[in-house]
Amino acid sequence: MKSRTVTLLLMLPALLLLAAVFLYPMLRYGWLSLQASSVLTGLVPVPNGGANWGRLLDDARFWTDAGQTLRFALCSVILELLGGLALALLLHRPLRGRGALRALTLLPWALPTTVMALGWRWILNDPHGPLNAAIHSLGGSSYGFLSTPATTWFFVVLADVWKTMPFVALLLLAGLQTIPADLEEALRLEGASRFQILRRLTLPLLVPYLTLALLFRLAQALGVFDLIQVLTGGGPAGSTESLALYAYLNAMRFLDFGYASTVMLATFLLLLVSLGGGWLLLRRHGLERTTERAA
Amino acid sequence: MRLLVLLWSLGPLLWQLRTSLLRPEALVAPLLEGNPWTLANYQLVLSGDPPFWRYLANSTLVGLATTLLTLLLAVPCAYGLHKERGPLRWGVGLALVAAAMFPTVLLFLALLEIARSFGLANNLLTLSLPYTALSLPLAVLLLRAAFADLPGELEDAARLEGLGLGQRLRFVLLPLLGPALASTAVLVFLASWNEYAIALTWISRSDLLTLPIAIARIGGGSVFTIPYGAFAAATVLGSLPLLLLVLLAQRSIVSGLTRGAVKG
Repeated sequence: MKSRTVTLLLMLPALLLLAAVFLYPMLRYGWLSLQASSVLTGLVPVPNGGANWGRLLDDARFWTDAGQTLRFALCSVILELLGGLALALLLHRPLRGRGALRALTLLPWALPTTVMALGWRWILNDPHGPLNAAIHSLGGSSYGFLSTPATTWFFVVLADVWKTMPFVALLLLAGLQTIPADLEEALRLEGASRFQILRRLTLPLLVPYLTLALLFRLAQALGVFDLIQVLTGGGPAGSTESLALYAYLNAMRFLDFGYASTVMLATFLLLLVSLGGGWLLLRRHGLERTTERAA
Repeated sequence: MRLLVLLWSLGPLLWQLRTSLLRPEALVAPLLEGNPWTLANYQLVLSGDPPFWRYLANSTLVGLATTLLTLLLAVPCAYGLHKERGPLRWGVGLALVAAAMFPTVLLFLALLEIARSFGLANNLLTLSLPYTALSLPLAVLLLRAAFADLPGELEDAARLEGLGLGQRLRFVLLPLLGPALASTAVLVFLASWNEYAIALTWISRSDLLTLPIAIARIGGGSVFTIPYGAFAAATVLGSLPLLLLVLLAQRSIVSGLTRGAVKG
C-alpha cells in the first residue's frame, strides 16, 4: 500500500504539468466558445448562447479551410509513408557509410520548420528561384509556384514531405530492425523475389509501425501551422489556409477569442474523427488481411 | 540511389549555403560580371540589432532549461509508471500517447492567457515550462521502456542491501539508463529548439526571440522584399549547431526513436 502511494507521488508532478498544458486549454476553449469575447465586448467574456457555434456552421471560410487541411494532411501523409518506406528500406541495407547517410537524411527533420519553409520559399521563388531558373534555361517561362491558387497547395505538401519523410523513415527503420534476417534468407532460398519478400514478409510485419507513423503524422498534419504561415501565409487567395492558421488569425489578428476558441475546438474534433476513422479503417483492413493469410 | 537520396535531402540546404555566399545582385542576375561571391550577408546578420548569435544563445538557453526540467520530471514519472500495476498504468500510458500526438498549435491561445495572467511572457526560463510539458509525454514513454529493459533482479538485490528508493535510482538504475537518458535529452532539446507557435505568442521583445521566430521575422513582410542573402546566411548559421548535434548524436536519435516506436 505504501509503495503504491510512492509511485503515485512520483508521477504527480509530471501529470499536473501535463494537465495544465493539455487539459486546461481544452476546457478553457469549451467555456470560451460559449462566450462573446472580442474587441466588441472589450475582450471581456460575455455569454452569447452558442452563437459562435452557429456562426461556425455558416462560415464558408471555415469549411473551405477544413477541406484544404484534410487534402493537405491526406496527400502529405500518403507521400511520406511511401517515400519513408522506400528510404527506410534503403537505409536498412548494409551500405558503406550507412551511419553518415542516416545522419544526413535525418537533417531536414532536425531543422526548425520556419528555416526550411523560408528555404523553400526561395527555391520556389518566381522568377529568381533555382526551379524557375532551371525552367528558364530549358526555354520555358517562369511559373508562379507560390502564386497560382490551383497548384500552390501541392508545393506546400512537397515541402512538408521533404521535412517529415526522414522521421517516418526512422520509425519504419525501427520496425525493419525487428525482422529476423534469417526469415528473409529462408524466403530467398525458396526462390522468392525481392518484391515477393517485401509483400509477403516485410510489409505485414511493418503494419504496426506503419499504423503508428500514419496516426502520428495524420494528427500533426491536421494541425499544420508554422509551415503554412511562413511559406505562403495561407495564400494565394486563401488557397492554402489551414484550420490552425485560421484559428490563429481569429485570435491574434481579429482579436476574437470566443470564435478562435470555437475554431480550435472544432479542429480538435475534426482531428479526433479523422484519427478514429483512420484507425477503424486500418483495423478492419488489418483483420481481413490476417484472416486472409490464416485461410 | 544513394546520390539521389542525398541530393533530395541536402539539395535545398546546399542551395541555401550557395545563396548565402552570393552578392544580392548576383541572385537576380545570374550572368553578372565579376566575382559574385561575398561574405557580406554574414556580416550583415552578425552585426544586426540584436546580433544573430543572441538568438542562438536564447534558443540554447531554453533548450537546456527544457531538457533539464523534462528529465527531472520524466525520470520519476517513468519509474512510477513502470512500477504501477493498477488501472492508472493503462490510463496514464494512453493519455501520454495521446498527448505526444497532440498538435501544439491548438494550445497556444489558452497558454497565452496563462502567460499573461501570471506574467510569464517575455521570459526564456518560463517559456521552458510549456516546452517541458510538450516534451514530457515522449520522454516518459522512452524512459519507461528503458526501465522495463533493466533486469528486475538488479533492483531487488539493491533493496535487499538496504538501499532506499532514492539511492536505488541514483546509484543503481540511473547509471544504467545513460544511453536512454542521452537519446531522450537530444530529442527534447531538438523539439524545444524548433518550437514555433508558443514562442511566437509568448515572446515579443526582440532581444529574447528564439531562433525560429527570429528567422521567420527576417523573412517577414512581402515575398518580394525578403533579403534572401541575409536570410540564407541566417539559416546556415542557425543550422550549423543542429548539423553538429545530428552528426554527433545520430546513433542516440535513431536508437531513441527506435525504442520509442517498439515500446510505444
